Amino acid sequence: MLKSLHALAGGVALLCATAMPIVAQDYPSKPVTVIVPFAPGGASDTIARLTTQIMQPNFAQPLVIENKPGATGAVGAGEVARSKPDGYTLMQASIGTYSTNLTLQPDATYDARKDLDMLTIAVRTPNALVTRPDFPANNVEEFVAELKKKPDALLFASSGAGSSDHLTAELFWQLTGTTAIHVPYKGGAPAQTDVMGGHADASFQNVGAIANFVKEGKMKILAVTGETRSPAFPDVPTFKELGIEGLDVYSWQAFSGPKGLPADIRTKLEKGLTEALNSPDLKPKLEAMGYEIVANDGAAADAFVAQEIDRWAKVIKDGNIKLEN
Amino acid sequence: MEILANLGLGFETAFSFWNLVYCLAGVFLGTAIGVLPGLGPTATIAMLLPVTFGLPPETALIMLAGIFYGAQYGGSTTAILVNLPGESSSVVTALDGYQMARKGEAGKALATAAIGSFAAGTVSTILIAFFAPALASVALSFGPHEYFSLMVLGLIASVVLASGSLLHALGMIVAGLIFGLIGTDVNTGTLRYTMGMPELADGISFVVLAMGIFGLGEILVNLEHEGQRSTALKKITGLMPSRADLKQIVAPVTRGTALGSVLGILPGGGAMLASFAAYALEKKASKTPERFGHGAIEGVAAPEAANNAGAQTSFIPMLTLGLPSNPVMALMIGAMIMQGIQPGPSVIEDQPVLFWGLIVSMWVGNLMLLVLNLPMIGLWVRMISIPYHYLFPCIVAFCAIGVFSLANQTFEIWLMGIFGLLGYVLRKLDCEPAPLLLGFILGPMLEEHLRRAMLVSRGDATTFLTRPISAVLIIVSVLLLVSILAPAVRSKREEAFVED
Repeated sequence: MLKSLHALAGGVALLCATAMPIVAQDYPSKPVTVIVPFAPGGASDTIARLTTQIMQPNFAQPLVIENKPGATGAVGAGEVARSKPDGYTLMQASIGTYSTNLTLQPDATYDARKDLDMLTIAVRTPNALVTRPDFPANNVEEFVAELKKKPDALLFASSGAGSSDHLTAELFWQLTGTTAIHVPYKGGAPAQTDVMGGHADASFQNVGAIANFVKEGKMKILAVTGETRSPAFPDVPTFKELGIEGLDVYSWQAFSGPKGLPADIRTKLEKGLTEALNSPDLKPKLEAMGYEIVANDGAAADAFVAQEIDRWAKVIKDGNIKLEN
Repeated sequence: MEILANLGLGFETAFSFWNLVYCLAGVFLGTAIGVLPGLGPTATIAMLLPVTFGLPPETALIMLAGIFYGAQYGGSTTAILVNLPGESSSVVTALDGYQMARKGEAGKALATAAIGSFAAGTVSTILIAFFAPALASVALSFGPHEYFSLMVLGLIASVVLASGSLLHALGMIVAGLIFGLIGTDVNTGTLRYTMGMPELADGISFVVLAMGIFGLGEILVNLEHEGQRSTALKKITGLMPSRADLKQIVAPVTRGTALGSVLGILPGGGAMLASFAAYALEKKASKTPERFGHGAIEGVAAPEAANNAGAQTSFIPMLTLGLPSNPVMALMIGAMIMQGIQPGPSVIEDQPVLFWGLIVSMWVGNLMLLVLNLPMIGLWVRMISIPYHYLFPCIVAFCAIGVFSLANQTFEIWLMGIFGLLGYVLRKLDCEPAPLLLGFILGPMLEEHLRRAMLVSRGDATTFLTRPISAVLIIVSVLLLVSILAPAVRSKREEAFVED
């Protein structure tokens, strides 16, 4: 008897769940999976783990991080795009997954604009133009002159073909009418190592990643790609100040879910995430790592992502960058 | 005697009650994940990173470092007992360690690995304490040319790994190189041989390949001759190495430690070569190279020492320059930054408690590992005397769990199954899998550095010979190649194999 009652209750619950729209009062009623489409320990993974850890005490159910790395996040993102928009599958990923993949990987199984609802742009970090310590130029003007004097000769290290810093370099060449040799590495650290060792001439790297190398005199910093100067380097100009317009570039990390999240669930998640990002327990830590907290709302994030997709599509097209499949 | 004052400070820090507790927790956890095939220290440390927030910086790093070198220790256990190398460094340990286990000497092999690792850990810790800042500059002097030449040397040395036919070994290396080509081309981002599967875009994972070819392949072969296997394992001769054994491993451990310490400093993949190089060196130096591959104790001692020494010295570029030589070091840098410490040359000056505490704790941790592991040996050895029809399903299950945890996809499990079949076929054809794995590890690095070097030198190949470090490495490679191919050496080689 008890058993059949249970079955009946279960059946009713199931009916309700399928027939009625999911409402925020019941959400979350089971653990929420946050897919990180990169390996543990990377920037996306760190942001996801730190943010969810701060968010957890005010969230009724466990927030579980699941790493599904592959193809600059395309494997995991495709899976998120195909999952049910019920708020139980979310994603935390990078600029590459949300924006440049769409142009660089025409076969990718998702489109960030059509298949994902953004929750918030969590953090962003500008890039810095750095050179090897003994490079003759001491400012951007001299650097550009050097590039023009030796076209197609200076070595620009990047963290990979199609990466954010590769595209920043590409955009820089386009805007200044210069050319150089692109030397891709497997990640930012080996690229930075070779700039310090003098095996490469210059690179665009995240300000947080190179701040200490510059302070120790292992690299020279010439300018930053932010809208404003970096708090870590108040004396270093932005490209905008130097008259190079259109090079305000950030790499960023953002949370999202599959398209069609119920409005109240989306609001609840946006609120939880942005509060965590701005909390005194997290904000200073992220800032120490060189990040600026963005923590905007989902609608603003959607608009930003669409804008970034178009912008990088143009840079990729103009630079004739193709990752053939 | 500033160094004594510094070490004193280090001992004071490392021996504080909570630091000892966290060090023990770290090495224990590390050993546990190292023993479980496929689970690595990177994921564990990433998960624990937020937990370390509340700890003082030195305590946090002491625990995370403990996980790292604990896992290096644990990894050799499954390599020796069931031929399952969970990471690249334990592939070499499996070669002779597993053969020793089959002869009933599993306990001796495990003890040798533990003692060799401890000795190497002690020496390399002293090296770090005295020479860390001086050694750091070596890391920066290696550019693409130097790494390429180093990889060439590694590849040629890998021929020595094989104990059977030279032709088979070359074939296996080439097969490994080809498997290494699968994935995204570094220079252009083009996808190669992925057959439209995005799961292959980042290449085949080493763990999948190693567990399939080594682990599953071995199981399939064993299932054919289950009767023979169980009788072979019944006689367990001595758990501990004898005095004569210990005397025999002194020189290999010393050479392995030296080689591992040097290679570990290079952030661009040097540490990966350490155990392979130590094995090759030992086989070349040995008066009886034919014993290698059939349970030579030096074949376990030297690579284990090299591996552990390399693991310790890979902290040098991280601590002195803020350069990560592997994903684990990158996480440690992340942990330091979150603690408000900027990694770089100033860490030694600004954070003496952290720097010296961590260094002394590495030695303390290594001692704990020895104390933890030696009494465990009896238990481990008993594990392999479990009837095989109970044991092998467990091994397969652990492999599947480990491989699944890599990307949380079933794709990797299928791939491991395919490589298991391949491993079986290769054994039937008398092809040894170790050269294949080395080709697989070295191939992508070789290509990456070659193409980068050519890009940097604007297509001028002579730069490999005009840069001094690179030139020396190339010359050594050529000499090694000549010594392998010289007809006299060759006939002696073949003679040696007739004895099998």
